[in-house]
Amino acid sequence: MIATQLETSWQRWLIRIAVFLAMLTLTVPGVWVVLTAFRPNIEVMARPAIWIPQDWTLDNFRRLFGFSSAQQGLPVARYFLNSLVISLTSTVVAVLIGMAGGYAFARYRFKGKATLFLAFMLSRTVPGVALSLPLFIIWARLGLIDTSVGLIIVYLAINIPFTIWLTDGFFRQIPVDLSEAAQIDGCTAWQAFWKVEFPLARSGLASAAIFAFLTSWNEYALASQLTRTTASKTMPVGLMDFTAQFTVDWTGMSAMAVLIIIPALVLTFIVQKHLIAGLTFGGVK
Amino acid sequence: MLGSFLCKALLASCAALTMIVSASAQEFDYGSFPGYTLRVKLVGGTQYEKLYTRIPEWEARTGAKVEIVSSKQLFDLDREVKQDIATGQITWCVGSNHTSFAPQYGGLYVDLKDYIPAEELAKYVPGTLASSEVEGRLVQLPRVTDVSNLYYRKDLYEDSARQEAYRAKFGAELAPPKTYDELKQQIVFFADPPNLFGTAFTGKDEGMSGRFMEILRANGGDLFDNNWNPTFNSPEGVAALQWFVDIYRAGAVPAGTVNYTFDEIGQAMAAGQLAIDLDWPGFAGFYSDPASSKIADHLGFALSPVGSAGVRGGWSGSHSFSVTEACDNKKAAASFAVFLTDDESELMEAKAGNLPTRSATYDEVIKYFNENGKTALAEMFVIWEASLADARTPPLIPQWIEVSNVLWPQLQAAILGEKTPQEALDQAAAEARTILEDAGVL
Amino acid sequence: MISTINTLPKAAGRSLAGFFRSPRAVPYLLLLPGIVVILSVVLVPLLVSFWTSFTSYNLTRPETLYNFVGLRNYQRLMGSAEFWWAFGRTFLFITITLNLELLLGLGLALLVNRITWGQRTLRTIMMFPMMFSPILVGFQFKYIFNDAIGLANNALFDLGLIDQSIPWLVDGTLANISIIAAEIWMSTSVFAILLLAGLMALPKEPIEAAKVDGCNAWQVFRHITLPFLMPFVFIAMTIRSLDVARAYDMIRIMTNGGPAGRTELLWTLMTRTGYQNSQMGMANAMGYVSIILSIVFTFYFYRKLTAARAFMGGAQ
Repeated sequence: MIATQLETSWQRWLIRIAVFLAMLTLTVPGVWVVLTAFRPNIEVMARPAIWIPQDWTLDNFRRLFGFSSAQQGLPVARYFLNSLVISLTSTVVAVLIGMAGGYAFARYRFKGKATLFLAFMLSRTVPGVALSLPLFIIWARLGLIDTSVGLIIVYLAINIPFTIWLTDGFFRQIPVDLSEAAQIDGCTAWQAFWKVEFPLARSGLASAAIFAFLTSWNEYALASQLTRTTASKTMPVGLMDFTAQFTVDWTGMSAMAVLIIIPALVLTFIVQKHLIAGLTFGGVK
Repeated sequence: MLGSFLCKALLASCAALTMIVSASAQEFDYGSFPGYTLRVKLVGGTQYEKLYTRIPEWEARTGAKVEIVSSKQLFDLDREVKQDIATGQITWCVGSNHTSFAPQYGGLYVDLKDYIPAEELAKYVPGTLASSEVEGRLVQLPRVTDVSNLYYRKDLYEDSARQEAYRAKFGAELAPPKTYDELKQQIVFFADPPNLFGTAFTGKDEGMSGRFMEILRANGGDLFDNNWNPTFNSPEGVAALQWFVDIYRAGAVPAGTVNYTFDEIGQAMAAGQLAIDLDWPGFAGFYSDPASSKIADHLGFALSPVGSAGVRGGWSGSHSFSVTEACDNKKAAASFAVFLTDDESELMEAKAGNLPTRSATYDEVIKYFNENGKTALAEMFVIWEASLADARTPPLIPQWIEVSNVLWPQLQAAILGEKTPQEALDQAAAEARTILEDAGVL
Repeated sequence: MISTINTLPKAAGRSLAGFFRSPRAVPYLLLLPGIVVILSVVLVPLLVSFWTSFTSYNLTRPETLYNFVGLRNYQRLMGSAEFWWAFGRTFLFITITLNLELLLGLGLALLVNRITWGQRTLRTIMMFPMMFSPILVGFQFKYIFNDAIGLANNALFDLGLIDQSIPWLVDGTLANISIIAAEIWMSTSVFAILLLAGLMALPKEPIEAAKVDGCNAWQVFRHITLPFLMPFVFIAMTIRSLDVARAYDMIRIMTNGGPAGRTELLWTLMTRTGYQNSQMGMANAMGYVSIILSIVFTFYFYRKLTAARAFMGGAQ
């Protein structure tokens, strides 16, 4: 058995340190926000900076949910639900549509293929400000303002080019022979797809799903425009409620941010499973 | 005897009757609108929402229901309103407004003088009400007013070592500044970077334009003349801009101040990093609360300084409520607006440290603070009330924001030393002229 | 006889219905839902805003929508130094951030790929910045780079490296570096996760064969890993170049294009013109000129993508 280690243990440690430093850089700014959610406002502006909160408190969360006399709470649960419904729905549908489109581009040769592909890509070059007002006007006529459906459709348009390209790339990596082999064995093309190609593309579909979800979950600009009330307002829009004209309520905003981050983290962790490289092409040589 | 008794009785009952009649004439009729749903768009944010806890009271009084269609922060609300105007979708009746934004909305809102009796309007501070008019129409009912005044660090001013040094250097007593020149002097004097700065100012967006406008007006100049020609590149304007340039160059303000918004200055002051802060009343509560501010015990208040013309700049604005032209029940809408600005509402706002818009509330709240041991805040209100006399808004034209957006980048350029103040202001004036010409105003 | 790719036989019938029933229609049918969504959400607004760029459309005076002014907006743009500076700055911003994100993302992906223990946690941590909404990132970094109470200066003070506050968000070069840093923090993970997925999809045999033949790590990387990854690289680049406009919210909060226009990018300029100044017609004109920028980037990466695929002998 040939050793698959190309590096010495010294190199391995170097790699581990590099990864640690990289992770640190990635997390520190974010961790600051999380810590701020648990500290009183006066600590935020301290000089020299107080890194670990001296005065842990859950007050910020209490204020958020309205258990304090100072203000009315925010309908956080409602925002959370809206975000969840809108993000999950648009993700699932975008992945399905993307899968269909990606398969078409990966496996078929047809007239207008290059043009169509480019058209999908170019649909994303339209700047937001050019799109947002006419979109608002049309959605208003259709009665889609302040509805989850309205926002879901818009997020689909944002995510579909994405999911198509990603799945296209992943389907291309799967040898066509596999599907053909299955068809020789008696499956129809449809069955061959679901039995053979779909499982192998899982890692691609999982990454497409994660991106689509995170894009929708964190999107602010269009959401703030197309939503009005708790009927459809999402969490990022709720986040901006904390920036009043004069003071940015840092601790309140951080508390809200924690609520936005945690579900995203949890979901990502769960979907990770399908990113695992299970690919062995041992079956076809 | 009977005659005189009868006379007295008649007089007494006449008096009583007049009192009853006038009392009910004094009290505003909120009306009765059972089964009606009033759709409103209100400004959101922690400092605005306490007032909305009174809404159920209005609902009980009038039998109507209030539906909050939208609750956003001011800039987003402005954008939303503009979109509604663009699409013709005015499906709501009452909207939060602000004197800086109101001129842009054209005929969106009604003239409230047609819906609210004059006696009721007389209860509001006259200057505030006048600022709420656009082209003679009362398009909004003011809710709270913001006028800038000075917050200062009492401990720094009462420090004997500093008093000595100040006396030695300037030959005057160290006391809160009366003029902008004195203010500049003290800002530079106190500065001890990086731990203490003299002050900080909002260095971008409408904040910068506004602070500049204040000093410009205090010097006797103004942004436009009566025919809307830009006049801010006058010598008074140059002097005003030079004021900022000088303190920036002296390092008496944080270098990042050109990027600061009101909240960063608030945080810096509360953290004890600034000696003086020319700022809004809304910060009083924040600064004097030991849980959020390090300077709570050392907070002093003073009137804003005067400029070379001996007047105050008095930059002010009011948050307000407006009623839409498209509303199907304007009486209910007007009733709601009055309710949210009535004596009790105003007292509630004042207790939170905001400047009320009804004259009577000032005395009430000062009394309240004195009785509750918050003499510092009572003292503040006395001073704040005095400053109302000089309160002036930015120009009430629809193009104000656009003009401001060409002004503040030039102001920044001068402050950062990229241009001379005259060059910067001339450039801004030329661009402002183009804007007004395009709009047909010039 | 099955060929290596579905080149479809000529359709039997010539009618539309016949077309849709034939195997030739399959790819079109697969693409139909996507096409419908994009058309309805993008095309119509696109046409409307294109029209408005030829008018003096002002948001608060809807009647100006029909006020045709021809090429006036575009003419003004051509002569506007402010616009072209923003254009150039945006081009530079996109180029720098994309390249740095690619390099850092690739490095990160390669490193994480090597670690065998706790991969799942590592991958989740790697994606941590993606959990943050752009406006939150804006507030976060505005606070970090605040010269008086920000983390960056505080840390540098504590370490004794400086004794004067560094005006991160004020100085021309530093301010641009700050927004680039914030953007890189926000989006490197995207590259990293895409490239990591690509690395995981790497077939093992060529690498093992190379090792048997005695190649070292660098040679393996350069001649096997990298070419295999190139299609993924270009997909990622294209996606990111179109997505980079998301940074707008972050930049608006950090500097709003200032001070004195030092960090003015196309997006801050357009949005201020359109929504604050209410000059929608002009803002849309700006938008269409800047589309050229996006189209250039997209075309460039698409050509590279197809070239990379051809090189790999993959499906056309």
